[in-house]
Amino acid sequence: MVDRKEIEHLGDLVKVDLSEPEKYIKQVEQILNYFDNLDKVEFHSDDTLRTQVTSDGLRDDVHKPYGDSLIEHLKKDQNNFIRAPKMV
Amino acid sequence: MNLGISAVEFVSQAKDGTISVEEFVAKTLDRIKKVDEKIHAFITVDTQNALDKAKEIDKKIKSKDKVGSCFGMPVSIKDNICTAGIKTTCASKMLENFVAPYDATVTSRLKSEDAIIIGKVNLDEFAMGSTTEFSYFGPTRNPWNPEYVPGGSSGGSGASVAALECLASLGSDTGGSVRSPASFCSVVGLKPTYGLISRYGLVSYANSIEQVGPIAKTVEDVAFLLNIVSGHDPHDNTTANTGHVDYVKDLKSGISGKKIGIISQMIGDGIDKEVASATNAAISQLQNLGAECIPISLDAVEHSVAAYYTIAAAEASSNLARYDNLRYGFDFSTEGYEFKAFVSKARSNFGPEVTRRMLLGAFVLSAGYYGKYYLKAQKVRTMIKAQLDEAFKKVDYLVSPTMPILPFKVGEKVDDPLKLYLTDINTVTANLSGIPAISVPFSMSSSGLPIGIQLFANSFKEKELLQAAHALQETTTLPEITL
Repeated sequence: MVDRKEIEHLGDLVKVDLSEPEKYIKQVEQILNYFDNLDKVEFHSDDTLRTQVTSDGLRDDVHKPYGDSLIEHLKKDQNNFIRAPKMV
Repeated sequence: MNLGISAVEFVSQAKDGTISVEEFVAKTLDRIKKVDEKIHAFITVDTQNALDKAKEIDKKIKSKDKVGSCFGMPVSIKDNICTAGIKTTCASKMLENFVAPYDATVTSRLKSEDAIIIGKVNLDEFAMGSTTEFSYFGPTRNPWNPEYVPGGSSGGSGASVAALECLASLGSDTGGSVRSPASFCSVVGLKPTYGLISRYGLVSYANSIEQVGPIAKTVEDVAFLLNIVSGHDPHDNTTANTGHVDYVKDLKSGISGKKIGIISQMIGDGIDKEVASATNAAISQLQNLGAECIPISLDAVEHSVAAYYTIAAAEASSNLARYDNLRYGFDFSTEGYEFKAFVSKARSNFGPEVTRRMLLGAFVLSAGYYGKYYLKAQKVRTMIKAQLDEAFKKVDYLVSPTMPILPFKVGEKVDDPLKLYLTDINTVTANLSGIPAISVPFSMSSSGLPIGIQLFANSFKEKELLQAAHALQETTTLPEITL
């Protein structure tokens, strides 16, 4: 059972202010009920798909200076700083 | 000048000077001006750059300089694939002003072969949706009947090709997002094997299942594009080193003597009558071409939608955590906000479908539910792969309708997410297992709406898959768009 408290908790986890949390209650519950069909599956194996990537594909650890183009379109002030809200 | 020619025909005519690239591009831009008001396939049209590039290519052709294999072919690119210098919005307010500092590998490969990026096309926000109705910039409409949805999430790609606003397009396919619009818009769309095409520069939604895929009018055009955009990329460690494969060569080999499995779970209950009869007609055509068709049961398919949305939502909630509206985004001052309050406020600008998937993702990954949902979904995924491995021991290809239903009206299902999710039943299997699948336009319903047929092959068997798709497309004669 999904209630308003649960939706607000999830909104908090994904850092989204939900202006109308009740809008999501029924839909999320309906979808989760559908996901519950996974309980009916009879598994003959506990395996999950894994892909192995070899580490020799890594690039050389060399410094590549970045150009101005990399920061050209960022939201920044006249001193080229990005303004963040205060942390505490 | 006929804008309805195929991309390959364009190349041959541009090469021998029958058509001028500048004229063709200018006429394409006029076409966009004329029809895009009704269709809304484009988010950005790069008019001046396209014309400048076309002139440059004409000059190279005239002076017999080396020209890239696309010869100035106008292509559109889904707006979740990075293009340096033009906006990549993902159809989201959260990225409405985002200009990528670099080209995606697929973009740079197209550019290096002298393709002209004519513009960026619409999608469901962050590619989450099956109808292109969840775009921040408003829905794209079906060029065959603007009251209907074009499919999605690469609806702008499918619609722009069908409406003759470009010769080809690149979309991305996470759960059917290339094949659904291909089917609904009567064009060809390929979801390649996971790892065949670089995802570098594709804005991440669900990394373990998504792939970039070409959309064009003909299978031959799709093969032509695949030659350019596929292959190992040092920037994407998940790309495979398959060596050089020419997908155009031997395209006309046919399918005589091949075995095709008809997936029982995809042609049973819940399928539209006209789609079912088109599928049966396609199966007869495949038999006429010399293939043997046998029924194949893949019972894990019944659980594929639940597994797919569990995994996709989980990956989405983690991928989208990065959007904080600090480095890029929309105007919204940080003044007076504490960090989390600012981020949460800014992120309330995600649309309803993206928000829903993030909530679901957080839920299925949370302690106490991880084993019940996420882990089981991963096991279903393994089960599907195992059943497909068994099937491909018996057959060369699998066939199904691409979409179980006909295109429906804009707004008809937009408030019923579960109903929309269930329309992906035939497409998500290829994403969960990684195998390639293609949608081929096959027929029209009595109401004039397109029906596409889907063919699957085993991993990295794109060459064979394209041969079968080409053979099937050759059996069809479909109407021209009257838009």
